[in-house]
Amino acid sequence: MKNMLDLRFVIGAFFLIVGILLLGSSFMVHFTKENGTTVNRDCGVVFILFSLIMLAMWKWGTKPTEEA
Amino acid sequence: MHLGLIDYSIICIYFIFVIGIGFFIKRKVKTSNDFLMSNRSIPLWITSLAFISANLGAQEVIGMAASGAKYGIMTSHFYWLGAIPAMLFLGVFMMPFYYGSKARSVPEYLAKRFDEKTRGFNAITFAVMTIFSSGISLYALAMLFQIILGWSFEFSVFLAAGIVLIYTFLGGLTSAVYNEVLQFFLIVLGISPLVFMGIHNAGGWEGVVKNLPEPMVHAWKYMGHANDNAMGVNIWQMAMGLGFVLSFGYWCTDFLVVQRAMIARNMQSAQKTPLIAAFPKMLMPFVVILPGLIAVALQAAHSGYVLPMKPDGITPNYDMALPSLLSHFYPSGILGVGLTALFASFMSGMAGNVTAFNTVWTFDIYQSYFRPNESDKHYLMVGKMATVFGIIASIATAYLAKSFNNIMDFLQLVFGFVNAPLFATFFLGMFWRKTTANGAFWGLLGGTAAAALTHGLTLAEGKGAWIANLHEFQSTMGQNFMIAIMAFCSCFVLTYLISLFTKRKQESDLVGLVYSLTPKPEAAQMAWYRKPITLAVIVLILTFLLNLIFY
Repeated sequence: MKNMLDLRFVIGAFFLIVGILLLGSSFMVHFTKENGTTVNRDCGVVFILFSLIMLAMWKWGTKPTEEA
Repeated sequence: MHLGLIDYSIICIYFIFVIGIGFFIKRKVKTSNDFLMSNRSIPLWITSLAFISANLGAQEVIGMAASGAKYGIMTSHFYWLGAIPAMLFLGVFMMPFYYGSKARSVPEYLAKRFDEKTRGFNAITFAVMTIFSSGISLYALAMLFQIILGWSFEFSVFLAAGIVLIYTFLGGLTSAVYNEVLQFFLIVLGISPLVFMGIHNAGGWEGVVKNLPEPMVHAWKYMGHANDNAMGVNIWQMAMGLGFVLSFGYWCTDFLVVQRAMIARNMQSAQKTPLIAAFPKMLMPFVVILPGLIAVALQAAHSGYVLPMKPDGITPNYDMALPSLLSHFYPSGILGVGLTALFASFMSGMAGNVTAFNTVWTFDIYQSYFRPNESDKHYLMVGKMATVFGIIASIATAYLAKSFNNIMDFLQLVFGFVNAPLFATFFLGMFWRKTTANGAFWGLLGGTAAAALTHGLTLAEGKGAWIANLHEFQSTMGQNFMIAIMAFCSCFVLTYLISLFTKRKQESDLVGLVYSLTPKPEAAQMAWYRKPITLAVIVLILTFLLNLIFY
């Protein structure tokens, strides 16, 4: 089992949760600003992509990081 | 600013993560070295991001946006001139001595190179300075959240202090460093959307430039004379005062940032930490300074955004540039992320100061002067108690700042005097074998006195000249740069002269501490593209190009 204290996992998990929250909230119309910006959707997608990159680096990283 | 349930949820999720990190790391913290120095085991990518994040407290994030709104792209000098060259110098030339000497702190290096009195002077002034800096961070956080969210001062102070106490008490320096890296990504990902939205709203970069006064979009063009730019400094003051003395004095000697490189796994990683950190550092102006320019451009374009004013109704409140843009552009959801980023940066600034304080207190003050031969378990306990004390003292300082704001300005001025000559001491110590302990100590004191004298004999914006008014500067910034130059030069000359006539250490005692007496076999065997100097040259070229683009 990979080290879950690896900071890549922690960062990935955090932004995955926040990204899902943002993406989910973007489907609720009253969360968008009046001018129709869909920044929550766009940021949610970016956060999720970023988190997947971090989690991939955690899972398939060449060396497990020694986290103290 | 009104927060929705999702915003509070994001803030709570962040708090759960930071506290959780502390609990997980606690299992691995068994010795004072683990707690205070992370057992020198942190990977390069983490030390690099923590290195810049340690200097990315909310005062910098809010302050840089405010400076961007007031001075324009010239604010980038604090990065491209006032940070990058010093970071490169630290990595290439100084880290081999900090790391190779096995010193656990910057003051301990001074003890090995010079003597205990030099260590003591640096340790005590640094310890006091970090606690006051931590308290000022806390005060600034509480004031900001009182204004934008209506939270009470007490609630913000005790919430932030409590969370920082938990994760630093449990996980020590490692916990603080992990949270700094998380904070870095939060700031970049939380504030970057604002930059994109702002530029888009202004009509692209051309639209931003069109709506700004000409001097605000140039970094160097209007620096021929102090009267030509809003900062009130000329090119010489900027290059020498900021680019050399203050910049090198901070990035090369301040233990808060140097500590992040000293906890790397090996010498190569320690050297590369500030060099790798220089890459994102180069790009940070686009995240933290641009919002300020965007705020001014949007107001000038009558886009519907207005920069908040101070209570007098006349002066713009530049400190509110970033928070007001967050409120203007961000809907609930991403707003929670933006505010969490601000909260995180305040807390990380506080945690960084407290963890630097507890290391210097435990090793440089307590172990050196009070109880030198205790068990490691004892020092681990002392480190933890120092953490608690640091947090309590920070809370007290925050209340002091609330009651006596001028005292904070005074203290920051005094600490500026103490910091200004430091680089001269370190430079001579590391690169001139004949520098003596007495030369270093009295040079430091003399440099500090020169800084105080310069302030006392010159006036800027109504400040200073408490002895006499021999010269008036265009701005306090110009005055501060000249203070730094005078302090450095005085310290340098005094240290040199006193060293010529005082006893020095045996050269055998200086191996590993002085450049000319330290063999460098690792560097000699490395391929040219793996050497730190190669990375440094690449960064320098890129930084030069950025300065050229925004000339």
